[in-house]
Amino acid sequence: MFPLSTLAAQALLIGGVSVLMAVMISVIDSIVNNYGDVQLDINGKKQVTVKGGSKLLGTLADQGIFLPSACGGRGSCGACKCQVKSDVGPHLPTEVPYLTQQELRENVRLACQVKVKADIGIQIPEELFNIKKLSCTVESMTNLTYDIKEVRLKLPEGSDLTYTAGQYGQIEVPAYGGIREPSARAYSFASAPQEKDTLEFLIRLVPGGTVTTYVHKFLKVGDKINVVAPVGDFRVHDTQAAMICVGGGSGMAPFRSIFRDMEARGVLGERDIWYFFGGHSVKDLYFMDWLKELAAKYERFHFIPAVSEPGPGEVWEGKPARLIDVLAERFKTEIPRELAKEGYLCGSPGMLDASMEIMRKNGMTDDKIYFDKFA
Amino acid sequence: MKMTEQLKKAQANLVPGAIVEEGFLGHDRRPLADIIQHDEEAFAEHGLSWDAVAERLKYLLVEGEKGLGEPVTVEGKWRVFVYEARGQFACPWEDGLFHKDSVTVQRLENGKPVGDRLVFNQLCIHMLEKHHFLEGLGSSFRLHPAALRNVLNL
Repeated sequence: MFPLSTLAAQALLIGGVSVLMAVMISVIDSIVNNYGDVQLDINGKKQVTVKGGSKLLGTLADQGIFLPSACGGRGSCGACKCQVKSDVGPHLPTEVPYLTQQELRENVRLACQVKVKADIGIQIPEELFNIKKLSCTVESMTNLTYDIKEVRLKLPEGSDLTYTAGQYGQIEVPAYGGIREPSARAYSFASAPQEKDTLEFLIRLVPGGTVTTYVHKFLKVGDKINVVAPVGDFRVHDTQAAMICVGGGSGMAPFRSIFRDMEARGVLGERDIWYFFGGHSVKDLYFMDWLKELAAKYERFHFIPAVSEPGPGEVWEGKPARLIDVLAERFKTEIPRELAKEGYLCGSPGMLDASMEIMRKNGMTDDKIYFDKFA
Repeated sequence: MKMTEQLKKAQANLVPGAIVEEGFLGHDRRPLADIIQHDEEAFAEHGLSWDAVAERLKYLLVEGEKGLGEPVTVEGKWRVFVYEARGQFACPWEDGLFHKDSVTVQRLENGKPVGDRLVFNQLCIHMLEKHHFLEGLGSSFRLHPAALRNVLNL
């Protein structure tokens, strides 16, 4: 058996060596990973000096330039694409699945994966310069259904946010529970652009979803929450073509914004609009009175609700059917084939693909079908 | 069960922020090898087969996708809701990329959902089938063996 003093000396020695190694690692890290100041050239127009060593997405955000990102920079959404004009090394395996062959050839990169180590030049769409990070205050939260909330946010004084109906914002929630860092996800605006001091979102609770769980379980009136906006190019095209709109569940959000905007501009009754909205059961439907009022007020606005499986005891006057089945049926019975049409879709990839297939079968072409995919 | 180098690497990817914000371990502090071994024993106790469970989950995922973003009733036995999210994530074992989605399954009685609720995604099915990993206790996507037996009718 060793005397206690020997054990204590060994413990001290091991502790000392550990501290020495930690110091050495820290020193080596500061030398090896110290990239110093680097020049960041944006679109050949703006040059800034930034501290090297961080990911491009975060570096740009520090400069007030926000690229779209639906996953908060974890390389799992593929949204934060930008063209890199300088050599930053080969594409990483984490980037390749999100890039087309053309994007690979043009050195389009995921900004959340590229580390800024040396002078770097990038090309981004000009409209991204308009995206801001806004510290909003929760003004109200309303349960529209058992799993969809309307979240109304007050914009900070003097924020002067200008956006187009159909665009979206990235809501950032703080670390909570076992989640150690802030998380961000993209949600379409449901408010009209004319409402200058507020933003509205329709947020459906996704089981296991990080941001939707926070919004539904923890967010409350009076809380501060960051929104990066405006983002996206989903919008109504300024033509006289009939609009065939499909968006069930929380996919109503951009259409609520679009219809409110068109009404505010006095153009809602000027072109034919069919809006297909549906849910699984009657309790999944919401804003029905508002949509029925629009249909009653504007002769050319056609509201088509659908319910696929009315729940026990629920009354549904129509025939139970999925939204896309109702869409297919109305193309046969109600929507004139010769009418010039544009498709506007918001929802899951499966719903969008099925809707597009029906639209194609009815003479519509892909270049006239616009969509806001959840995924 | 011994923590192999492969398991050590996987365990590093299971923590919050490495692949997903929440991580895969919930409040479970056991080594990955112990979590897997415990769940293998629980599977045996409940008479569950890894392949049969994986096949049933895949079947329900495919049927649920037909709801196109809304819940559907499958065979009159299950209510399945598939929510598709943007992007994909890597398996902690670094052997594949899987689409982000969230599948919710509940058993039906007289048309109403009853009992345990399973929440999983494509990666969960892969980790169950290939690595016998059901996620840690307290994880949002943890597949409890007893819940699997109760909900899947296996």
